Amino acid sequence: MKVLLIGDGARENALAEALSDNKIFAISSFINPGIKSVVERTGGKYFVGNIESKEFVKEIIKQVNPDFGVVGPEDPLFHGVSNAFYEERIPVMGPTENDATIEKSKVWMRQLMWKYEIPGRLRFKSFSNLAEAAKFILDYGGSVAIKPSEQVGGKGVKVVADIQAYLSNEKRQALSKSVDEIGKYVSDNEIKIIIEERVDGPEYTLHVLTDGNSYLPLPLAQDYKHAYQDGIGPETGGMGSISGSKNLLPFINEEEYERSFDIVKRTAEAIEKETGEKYRGFLSGQMMLTDLWGPTIIEYYSRLGDPEASAIIPRIKNFGEILELTAEGKLSRAKLELNEEPTVVRAIAPYGYPLNKSLAKGQRFFIDMQKLREEGCILYFGSVALEGNEIVAQGSRALELVAFGDFEEASKKLDMCMKYISSDRKMIYRTDIGRTVKEMTEKAEIVRYSYKNREKHGILGVSADWSPNGGLW
Amino acid sequence: MAGIVGILAFDKIWNISKFLKYSLMGLQHRGYTASGYAVLNDKISSGHSSNPPEDIEINDQGWIGIGYTGNKEEYPLVFDEVAMVIDGIVKDNPSSIAEKILSNPEEISKVRGAFSLVAFTSEGKIIAYRDESGLKPLAIGGFGFDMAIIASEMPAMSVIGGDFRREINPGELVILDRYNIESKKLKEPKKSYCSIEYIYQARIDSFVNERSIYELRIKIGEELAKERPINADTVIGVPDTAIPFAVGYSRFTGIPLDLGFTRTGSPIRTMLASNDFMKIVGVQLKLNVIKSAVFGKRVVLIDDSMVTGTTLKNTIFSLRKMGAKEVHVLIGSPKLISYCPYGVEVPPSSELIAANLHDEDIAKVLGADSIYWLSIEGLYKVIGTKELCLGCMLNSYPKVI
Repeated sequence: MKVLLIGDGARENALAEALSDNKIFAISSFINPGIKSVVERTGGKYFVGNIESKEFVKEIIKQVNPDFGVVGPEDPLFHGVSNAFYEERIPVMGPTENDATIEKSKVWMRQLMWKYEIPGRLRFKSFSNLAEAAKFILDYGGSVAIKPSEQVGGKGVKVVADIQAYLSNEKRQALSKSVDEIGKYVSDNEIKIIIEERVDGPEYTLHVLTDGNSYLPLPLAQDYKHAYQDGIGPETGGMGSISGSKNLLPFINEEEYERSFDIVKRTAEAIEKETGEKYRGFLSGQMMLTDLWGPTIIEYYSRLGDPEASAIIPRIKNFGEILELTAEGKLSRAKLELNEEPTVVRAIAPYGYPLNKSLAKGQRFFIDMQKLREEGCILYFGSVALEGNEIVAQGSRALELVAFGDFEEASKKLDMCMKYISSDRKMIYRTDIGRTVKEMTEKAEIVRYSYKNREKHGILGVSADWSPNGGLW
Repeated sequence: MAGIVGILAFDKIWNISKFLKYSLMGLQHRGYTASGYAVLNDKISSGHSSNPPEDIEINDQGWIGIGYTGNKEEYPLVFDEVAMVIDGIVKDNPSSIAEKILSNPEEISKVRGAFSLVAFTSEGKIIAYRDESGLKPLAIGGFGFDMAIIASEMPAMSVIGGDFRREINPGELVILDRYNIESKKLKEPKKSYCSIEYIYQARIDSFVNERSIYELRIKIGEELAKERPINADTVIGVPDTAIPFAVGYSRFTGIPLDLGFTRTGSPIRTMLASNDFMKIVGVQLKLNVIKSAVFGKRVVLIDDSMVTGTTLKNTIFSLRKMGAKEVHVLIGSPKLISYCPYGVEVPPSSELIAANLHDEDIAKVLGADSIYWLSIEGLYKVIGTKELCLGCMLNSYPKVI
């Protein structure tokens, strides 16, 4: 079969590999070395162009006439690229533009969860006026998370725990300043800011595949968002991830997995009710186990998470087949063949990521692929372009290295493999991915005490804030 | 002994000055007679004080800074392009250390001494180093996605809402800037952790030198109960550091725990007070006995250490005055018999009562019915390692400086 893949990152590289029993055609905004390799190997064709342009993609669809399409990143979905496939009557892995609103608009997502009473929802308030948002922050120094109302790739999120009252003024001032900064990221939308109650606990991602009728939950993954070693530093899209063993993570139990699945499924059903369009593709709960709810939704992705995808895809032996069945509306026939061994993914970023994109562009990487394979690692290419014979950073996470094994064993493999990757400048990566499982387990145990107690007393998800000026919220 | 802090914000919209102040307050137990700070914005601004950090006023703003609380009024040391703070002893000239930091931070491993150091440069880097002996603690953590924090101890992070991540290893250099956090092992660890950190220096909510401090002090109390059981009606710990010993002793023996004292004013450590008069005033002002907790009772009184015995003598006097029938003294550290060359304010042996008198005579001087110190073997057992400095207890020192 002929598959047309949209996207240019490590997630799309992983998808291409999983689908490589087919003839792979791809559209990227730059030449991704890993995708290029799969395209050539399978006898397909590689197109470079604007992956966010519905018109451009439609032209390629007509040219290629694929059997089905797979849309990797969120921005093409937001711009209706999946709609291009539907309009050409080609099955596609990826929700429509309207359905992708679940990721694009955090306000829409929260409203939906409250309207349909989906568990794991959080109190929120949205603002179109930045001054009002700043005032709200000053009134409710109590724990809040401030986010741009639209998906901007994880940037601009500031979560502040205002436990110490004697510091609250300082933090409120910083938060007020950051409101102005966040507002810049969202230019064409009237609602600029969403403020949510803050929760804490171990984070995890549940990806659910759906063809609009059947639902298939994938194994859980966890990503590591802090940029630098030891889980310190600014927020990123993820400097690594882990998955396993089996369907779970060491700190999430079977019951919590089932509950998470139920939340995501109910959300997909709610989306269909709201938009009139069946949700098809991936719906991924970026979740947290909290004392308020247990499984709790922090965000939804309308796609696979990256780098979570790199941890999950290699563990599913028949992932390509499952994607095909999903695209064709035959997901109920799918039976997931899982490698139960866990995986650890280490992302390698150029110097300057995530704070300085121009600094992070142009860095060159040198890779000994043969040695990497010999050491038992898989390499996916992310935000790097093949320019001549050189692998050049485009400003985001450049490479994702994957190893199988229990987390410590896999981490050691990754350490070995790092010897075969070098660069003309400092590489930014974390060696602690998968090495803080004990802390996560303890954190999970702590929130379990609370949410199980809440459940017992019938107050699961019940919370409130009050302040003299703002009143009860 | 001193508390040192470095804070770096990844976004320059933050002003870290207040965070710095409260961080230092979280380290005040390590020394408080002098404090100081330095912050970076367009230039390095700094301030020094002969007061505790809680009295310091930081009006300068910046997104990166360091702080000090201890007994050195000249800290932080500020040069044109570097500001630095040190806990411990360095034998090299500070300006040559500053030069090393600017040209090649890895040269810090050649600095003679036993110390932990935090510095920042005018280009916005924080450099932190803990020498291979590990005599002075140092840890790294963060505040959400917004800041990195380096500090002597974990409370400096938790009091400002940050999270402890891990200790910096002996011999490890850490370099932070907005774009990376880098760690390098400059020297193989030759761990000689300070026993005083475990016994009374580190805060009870801390994790220092690979151990949870509160848990360990409970165990010291339990060990004292094994080594010296006493028939008594109540156990009292001298606030604050000796209270966990009393908890442990009480748990093990079943003797009820009492709060014997309440405090007036701020927690001034009498051992650190600068002269004899201040020590006596510090004792008498500091601790007021709760009469109903001790009246008519045989008391086990546990303290964390004994230097000259002045503190305890006055405390025991106060207890008896309030009606204690017997006062049996237990000390949660082995006998202090020698000075500290690494910066802990243990006076020379001529001023250490345990180095000069027999136990019975010490009990007489104090007015105690009996006295006992934790044994060296007991301390090793409780801590669970021998990678320790017990210089002030054995007169044998792990590192020549």
